[in-house]
Amino acid sequence: MNEFSLMGKIAVVTGGGSGLGREICLALAGAGADVVIAGRRPGPINEVAAEIVKSGQRAAAIPTDVTDSGQVNSLIEKALAEFGKIDILVNNAGIAKGVDPSGNDVLAPPARSLWELSDEDWSYSIATNLTGTFYCCRAVARHMLERKSGKVINLSSMGAIRVVKGMFGYCTAKAGVIAFTKTLAITWAGDNIQVNCIAPGFLPVVEMAPEMRARTERFFPMGRFGIPREIGPLAVYLASSASDYVTGQFFPLDGAAGATYAPTGYLPGT
Amino acid sequence: MLEEFRLDGNVAIIASRGFSWIKELALSLNQAGARVTVATSDREKINEITAALPGQDVLCIPTDLNNSREIENMVTRTVSQFGKVDILVNGLNLELWKPLLDMTEKEWQGVLQANLTAAFLCSKAAGKYMVAQKAGSIINIVSGLAERGIPHGTAYCASMGAVLAFTRALALEWAPQNVRVNALGVGWAESQGVGDEKDLLARYIPARRRARAGDITPLVVFLASQASSFMNGSFYIADGGLMARA
Repeated sequence: MNEFSLMGKIAVVTGGGSGLGREICLALAGAGADVVIAGRRPGPINEVAAEIVKSGQRAAAIPTDVTDSGQVNSLIEKALAEFGKIDILVNNAGIAKGVDPSGNDVLAPPARSLWELSDEDWSYSIATNLTGTFYCCRAVARHMLERKSGKVINLSSMGAIRVVKGMFGYCTAKAGVIAFTKTLAITWAGDNIQVNCIAPGFLPVVEMAPEMRARTERFFPMGRFGIPREIGPLAVYLASSASDYVTGQFFPLDGAAGATYAPTGYLPGT
Repeated sequence: MLEEFRLDGNVAIIASRGFSWIKELALSLNQAGARVTVATSDREKINEITAALPGQDVLCIPTDLNNSREIENMVTRTVSQFGKVDILVNGLNLELWKPLLDMTEKEWQGVLQANLTAAFLCSKAAGKYMVAQKAGSIINIVSGLAERGIPHGTAYCASMGAVLAFTRALALEWAPQNVRVNALGVGWAESQGVGDEKDLLARYIPARRRARAGDITPLVVFLASQASSFMNGSFYIADGGLMARA
């Protein structure tokens, strides 16, 4: 099972303080990596760093807003100064109304009409979900190319291909992440750097009332939502040498929701 | 974390016709902790595997994968030997490269039978046990040609695309029983005697080389294991960037 091990690897994870980002940090550390956790709020990233250190790996928390390229460049510089290299970059920082686990949703609810979507909401969605990924990749580019080694994991979403009514900015940005992933993968394929994206379906990271949960879960093919920690092993696989021939790919993590063509439970011919 | 990728206590069946890396796959699944049945009509492969993997963890059963009764017997023997079946890998890859106008109906049906119908028969025979135990993982290995085209490949491409559609439909059908069904896409595989430098296909692949066994086997182990418990009904591709390029 050595090919899945991340022993001796250094990972940088954006949006690593909470939600799926936190799960990714813990999984990478669990597979042997040392982790640099970036996020806007110091509290959560410090907590994740402490948890990783307690488990025996090294960790550092670096407050970063990925929409600011200066902060992103500084994140990568600090990570390199402290750990000497970066093997794995996970671009997880992202935002959508009702999805931001910090509870600090700054976006308006999905627009009912396109004219209700403000310049600011559109730009903020694109800036965080897409441009932030570009900034981080650009910041590690020289380092990874010089070493001819690296793994980039971008967080797209099933919302990129099976979209949600009114979520223009989010779905568009996440679809942009797919094209960016493929372009970067092809560009760096000859340099032994693999670039892939994960597309989570519904893996709620905020508490739900149990009856609400039970009522909703039966509409999902497997009869349940995803559990946030189920993203962990996929990140480990894509970060490890087990995936050295995998690049430019889109990895759904959606419990078969993306395969549907009719409501769950509908059986044609009955 | 790495324990989630292990297959200890699991039983896997590899049903293969024309899949190059049966031995390597059997070895990987076994090293991850699974006991393995290899079902193929290829006697040479069976001898090779028996020599490489002696012992009680790997069972080779000569099987005509066009014959539903032989498939059922193979699954029954697996269950009586190992107690159950948790994983099925369909490595069905009969290649036929021929212009459509020269292709006989028999040839067309032969490809569909070998690549698609055998997947149906094996999934039905092994899936019965998985549905009953409410756990299982089926992995259909296909070519990237499931989603692309190539001249002289009409029958082959149709069979691969059909397996992909079969994968999605079966995934939804058995999702309530916690039996997952995914497809794994393989790029152009390494062939003997052709160096990457002179190889037109290797130069077309962004990674500049063809696929090797070790590029694929970890993805099979991952999709077979609990590490991929929410990955279902999808197509996961290891092809050196081939599908992404213009």
